Amino acid sequence: MSVLKLMPSALAGRKLATIGFLWLVLVLLAAVFAGVIAPFDPLELDPVNRLAEPGWPHLFGTDHFGRDTFSRALYGARMTVIIGVGSVVVALLSGGLIGMLSAYFTKLGHFLMRGVDVLMAFPALLMALVLITLLERSVANTIIVIGIVYATTTARILYGMTLKLKNEVFVDAAVCSGASHRSILFRHILPNLISPLLVQASFIFAFAQLQAAALDFLGLGLPPEVPSWGNMLSEERIYLTRAPWLLLYPGLLIILSVFSMNLVGDALRDNIDPRFKDDISGV
Amino acid sequence: MALLEVENLHIAVSVGGVLQPVVRGISFTVDDNETLGIVGESGCGKSMTSLAIMGLLEGTPVRITDGSIRYDGTELLQLSSKQRRAIMGNRMAMIFQEPMTSLNPVYRIGDQIIESLRQHKSISKKAARARAIELLDLVRIPNPSERVDSFPHQMSGGQRQRVMIAMALSCDPKLLIADEPTTALDVTVQKEVLELMSDLQERTGTAIIIISHDLGVIAETCDKVSVMYRGKIVEAGTTENLFERLAHPYTRGLLNSIPVVDHDVEWLEAIPGRVPTLGEELSGCAFHPRCPIATGLCIAKTPGDTYIAGNHAVKCHYADQVAS
Amino acid sequence: MTEAILSIRDLKTHFQTQAAGFLGEKKVIKAVDGVSFDIAPGEVLSLVGESGCGKSTVGRTLTHLEKSTAGQALFDGQDILTLSPAQFRPLRRDIQMIFQDPFASLNPRLTIEQTLGEPLFIHGLAKNWAEARVLIAETLDLVGMAPEVMTRHPHEFSGGQRQRIGIARVMILKPKLVIADEAVSALDVSIQAQVLNLIKKLQRDSGISMLFISHDLGVVRHISDRVAVMYQGEIVEMGTKHEIFENPQHAYTRKLLSAIPRIKTRQVNA
Repeated sequence: MSVLKLMPSALAGRKLATIGFLWLVLVLLAAVFAGVIAPFDPLELDPVNRLAEPGWPHLFGTDHFGRDTFSRALYGARMTVIIGVGSVVVALLSGGLIGMLSAYFTKLGHFLMRGVDVLMAFPALLMALVLITLLERSVANTIIVIGIVYATTTARILYGMTLKLKNEVFVDAAVCSGASHRSILFRHILPNLISPLLVQASFIFAFAQLQAAALDFLGLGLPPEVPSWGNMLSEERIYLTRAPWLLLYPGLLIILSVFSMNLVGDALRDNIDPRFKDDISGV
Repeated sequence: MALLEVENLHIAVSVGGVLQPVVRGISFTVDDNETLGIVGESGCGKSMTSLAIMGLLEGTPVRITDGSIRYDGTELLQLSSKQRRAIMGNRMAMIFQEPMTSLNPVYRIGDQIIESLRQHKSISKKAARARAIELLDLVRIPNPSERVDSFPHQMSGGQRQRVMIAMALSCDPKLLIADEPTTALDVTVQKEVLELMSDLQERTGTAIIIISHDLGVIAETCDKVSVMYRGKIVEAGTTENLFERLAHPYTRGLLNSIPVVDHDVEWLEAIPGRVPTLGEELSGCAFHPRCPIATGLCIAKTPGDTYIAGNHAVKCHYADQVAS
Repeated sequence: MTEAILSIRDLKTHFQTQAAGFLGEKKVIKAVDGVSFDIAPGEVLSLVGESGCGKSTVGRTLTHLEKSTAGQALFDGQDILTLSPAQFRPLRRDIQMIFQDPFASLNPRLTIEQTLGEPLFIHGLAKNWAEARVLIAETLDLVGMAPEVMTRHPHEFSGGQRQRIGIARVMILKPKLVIADEAVSALDVSIQAQVLNLIKKLQRDSGISMLFISHDLGVVRHISDRVAVMYQGEIVEMGTKHEIFENPQHAYTRKLLSAIPRIKTRQVNA
């Protein structure tokens, strides 16, 4: 609803953001239809055709096991979307709830937000590293770890915005009508946070990509057999001089996607309620 | 030739690429030692007019589409913004409604006055500070030599508005435009600020334009009044003439809408309907949907000026009837 | 005078400010400092004063939007200041508030129907939307608006219309006491007169008691039976409308009255 309504006005007159948006649509299509489009099985080994140069039938060439890089890149798009969406959901649900409740119930807030402040003192990657070492390598755990990392900033941002909304006259009016806490939080405050939340989501999505790629690269993210752009970079880095395309394609894909997400996020941010503009920033 | 002459001024705001008229051809003059009041409700175009005179519309979606603004015979609309700044720099000043947002909260008020002084005149810092204290004294800030080092948040709303006036006066302007100067202030403070402004005028001979929604403020402080409705001046004249014989149904309605303190009124004679919104097209006299005496003529034909007494001009087909 | 519907004795509402800077001391602001008054059934009492005099805080304290520091407020014989939020909730139906800013007091995300329906369901005045819509339409008619507006959002309305909707939200509960906090101050003069007439008419017709908070002496004279003048957290003068406006005793009341700009004109109320 409001998401779809927001996009056209946010993109109007912004060429770069529109290109970014189209790129993301392309990534999404690739993710959904990877199974249909991919010419090869991303996991199929072909030792004869190791490190083939880009051409036909291997558009992006093959890696050191002879796997088709193009097909792996398509399935990598799927991982990108899964990790991105998953992290956004975890971050917004946990962080959003903490932020909103902390702002609304001041006493609880003192307690919760101090905890958030402590967590925010750690650099994002360091925190992710600490958490991931406690867990097994899996898609779900990667999502949880990245989600928790960005839950802290989300909590901070929503805390500030909820504090502002809490003092709005229409909230006073709802209190005077006898509305319950739950109704005030979820019926009166939350709907007014949808568009800033969407902006926040777009930034988390972008940074989750970088974070996931970094974890993959360090060998701490997704299991090595999972085709993801980060894993591709990590595995093929030793062939940088012999087969540079193996790093070029996943590298470019990561850069383009993160850049696009940031452009779209900026466009959305410039288009929302001016009241919240100061609260939202890149994560 | 008057100090400021505005003629047939048209202003439009661009909404999604379409120009919507806001001011639809207004003319007025102000001279030295004279106070003109422009009164009207929200959206009537009064504030746009003041911004146009000050040349503050640049970089906004608002455009001056026609007309002329002459200061001392110089056509302002033909000057580049650079020329304009050079010529006009210290001859016009403006006071805004909200004194808190117009002052920079991180600088001492003295420094802000000093900066404004030194922008317009080449004087030493020391001399500028002395002048700043003098100005604060002029606007009756108590202990000016101490208060000069205060920050805006350390002053009350009335004092901040006085500081704004001091800053406006720092360049000895020949014309002062005050846009809702007392709307954010309490009545007792409002009285002091208005008295201060007329005192200053007596001393310096400055021409003043006061823009307000408050008919009372205008009636008590201005020599001339222009009443605006939806981008047009519907009634104009000297304060005395105008209030002696209100001749436009809108002005009359406005006056009857104000609950007075001096006697009881059982029910207010409110103007029905609502203030027209931007882009709403109304044929003939724009006031006809809300006017108690509107006829077919009012819908069909835009009224021109009818003169009641001297220069008391009224845009109403039935002005003579209303006046009598 | 009959038994008062609201009887306030020595009401105090103090605020602690945040310490200024690291070493600054916390200050106590005595927004309301010992205010007492009664409102009889069907009576309109105005609280008038300049910004910061504490008049709005009195209203906000009575609706539990602020916490009182001391004092008593008997509503129908019960001290409402000592009630817990849960105990006070049912009483909110009887004590309603009209807010100043019509642009801020309606939730921009809710339709008019949702805004007006909410209090009905909270207080069990409607069991389903069909019942609610009947009441909403009736109330909208009462404030001079067509029932067709129900499905629209606040941004589609002008300031005056929004304030009518705000008044409808209050009237739909048929309260016993309405607190109007600067209810017409944000409106254009011509619209203010309409809304003021509407409030006066609704008050007369329904016999509601009203605490009318305003800085505008003209508005206060128009609507009140009695007037209390507040200055720095205290009531400095209280009396009938005519006592206050025709024979003010306190120097501050006189100062306020003399500060109002007046229009010298021939009588035009014809």
